Amino acid sequence: MKKRSIFALAILALSMIASTSLFAADKVKLTVWGRDIADDDAAHAYVKALVAGFQAKYPDIQLDYIALGDPGLADKTKITMASGSGLPDIFQSWGGSVMGGYADAGQLLDLSKELKTVPGSAAAAGAMTWKGKIYGVAPFFAVAGVFVNEGIFKANNLKYPTTVEGFEAVCDALKAKGIQPIACGEKDKWPGLALYMYLTNRFGGDASARAAARKLAYDSDAFVKAAQLYQKWVKAGYFGATPVGEGYGDAQQLMATGKAAMHITGSWMCGNYSDPNFTDQQLGFYAFPALKSGGVGKATDIMGMTDIGFAATKAAASKKDAVVKFLAYSMSPEAGAAEPGRIASMPGVKAKTALTGQATAVFASAKTVTFWWDQDLPPSVTSPLNDTIQTFFLPDTDVKKSLSAYEALVTENMGAVKK
Amino acid sequence: MSERPGKQAIGPSRKRRVRDGNRSVFIFLCLLPAFIFLAVFLYYPIEETFRIAMTKSSGLGPEPYIGFDNYAKLFSNEEFLAGLLHVFTWAFFSIIIQLPLAFLIAFSLTFYANRFTGGLRAVFYLSNVLPSAITAMLGRFIFAPKYGIIASLSSTLGWKWLSGIDFLGNQDLAFWSVFAIATWAYTGFPIIYLMARIDQIPKEVREAAELDGSTGWHYAMKIVLPEIGYPLRILAVLSTVGSLRLFDLPNMMTSGGPGNATVTLGITLYRHGFVNWNYGKAAAIGVVIFVLSLAFTVAQFSFGNRKGGETT
Repeated sequence: MKKRSIFALAILALSMIASTSLFAADKVKLTVWGRDIADDDAAHAYVKALVAGFQAKYPDIQLDYIALGDPGLADKTKITMASGSGLPDIFQSWGGSVMGGYADAGQLLDLSKELKTVPGSAAAAGAMTWKGKIYGVAPFFAVAGVFVNEGIFKANNLKYPTTVEGFEAVCDALKAKGIQPIACGEKDKWPGLALYMYLTNRFGGDASARAAARKLAYDSDAFVKAAQLYQKWVKAGYFGATPVGEGYGDAQQLMATGKAAMHITGSWMCGNYSDPNFTDQQLGFYAFPALKSGGVGKATDIMGMTDIGFAATKAAASKKDAVVKFLAYSMSPEAGAAEPGRIASMPGVKAKTALTGQATAVFASAKTVTFWWDQDLPPSVTSPLNDTIQTFFLPDTDVKKSLSAYEALVTENMGAVKK
Repeated sequence: MSERPGKQAIGPSRKRRVRDGNRSVFIFLCLLPAFIFLAVFLYYPIEETFRIAMTKSSGLGPEPYIGFDNYAKLFSNEEFLAGLLHVFTWAFFSIIIQLPLAFLIAFSLTFYANRFTGGLRAVFYLSNVLPSAITAMLGRFIFAPKYGIIASLSSTLGWKWLSGIDFLGNQDLAFWSVFAIATWAYTGFPIIYLMARIDQIPKEVREAAELDGSTGWHYAMKIVLPEIGYPLRILAVLSTVGSLRLFDLPNMMTSGGPGNATVTLGITLYRHGFVNWNYGKAAAIGVVIFVLSLAFTVAQFSFGNRKGGETT
């Protein structure tokens, strides 16, 4: 009797192990590398909702979400893409040429057929497309614009200008009142890019696209004029006395505490700038104005790119269905509804705050969207571009010479301008 | 059965040969793990660095051979030349500021030892055990414009001339601001190292010097300093090699800026390799750092040996 019981128990245990193993074998494991931790931080609300929502909706898929931070995500992705081993199934990506480099190296999974029907904005889809093939999705899109302290403007009888010349007049008026006109944070180098992109566009229209296609040099007229105006504004003190000593976080603090009147940056700040725990100032979001005379670009030419995006790697080739489910879910209103501040690419998600609503309106008014140069150009020339822009903040810099040095580097890496 | 004559004569020799052979195999087997470790983690990466430095490599895709092109371009690159100048400047001032400062503090703590100096040792060494990230954060906290300690304090005191100075954003000041923090952070190790050596000088020597009427300054310069010549030379080599590899503090405090004001060879290497995806150039910078470190180490020890310093 005892022997029989032991035998029965053994059979039961074996069958349980076998069924568990079979169940585990059936469960697809999906490894996703992201930047942000899925915690209670308002800026991470979407990621948190995405991870929790996907696990609840697809219990047969084991989601292994790993937050790598910044620059951990970029560094680890780059190293694994170079070695080709240890690739995740999906990684957070901003699209553009960085993603394109991985695609050219054969490390990404072409999902053109599967993702073609996923609804979303054309600009966001464009950012995740490389050489005609779709490699991922961009649930959120960011545009650069001007955050304005409405309280300071009202108190000083100022109105947001419609021209660059009017913008200068507003800055002069603010400076005369002892208020720093623009917060920047150029210690981190990239914060100065948005304004330079706008100024170049306003002077030269699609100059950046032509320069990237090597039909125009980076030290040509539009680039030099934009840099000269930029440096003039620095010398005039529009960015305060110490813009290069301050980081992006410092710039946010200047805006949050009402010490600066404007901040030219991405719409990803809508969440923080709407948060009463972050700032008690009333802020608005506007498109950067056009030149009154002698300009080419318009106020509806907008700079921006993916804010949160995901792309799939070749490691996921055998589990395409699970990957597509994750990417489609990331573009669902269900996941997107949790986001408090970013501009949603998926239809059906309403802006949570007035500031996000204004940013969404700026995005909706866009006739053209230029992707961030430091994401869209080849990596060999993007960091030097931001280095070059930082030199505009140094009073002794000959901006033409700086741009010529940059053009020489671009020529070395991307070829000479085609006559 | 009698043994053949002569067998006894060659017996011990064969045994010795076998014993020697076994001993060689044993030594070889003992050294093998260390050799494999060095080959995999040291010699192979060094060989690869030299090889990649001769290619145009982005880390993705083919790596075409371009000979010495990377080196040629480096020596006409403003950022690299600025980095080279900065690491030499850093090494020079480390030796002429940090080492004498470390010697003075180490001598004072040992010569005037009392119940408080034990605590002071810990205070001076504390900066050395702090992670670079914390040191850099403290540096930024001190020098940051508007919200930094200096800016806030001087604003409170009404010293506008001081509160308006951008220590980290001014091209002429940024390098020295970072160096000031480094002097605080990196002097702890030489102090402890020199104290250990000064402590080894027999007490009789000091007593004899005092009987001869030697003052503290005279004792430090004429007796202690010659005694610690070799440790000082080691510290000078470590400072020079450390300067050539300098990366963390300037990168975290100023990102090498403004412009190229605080860029170092390490920062240039990082930017070329991990930011610009130009692994060929990054490897070439790595080779330059390696060769310079080797050359300076050999030169500094050779110079010391000619002067009759210790060799072990």
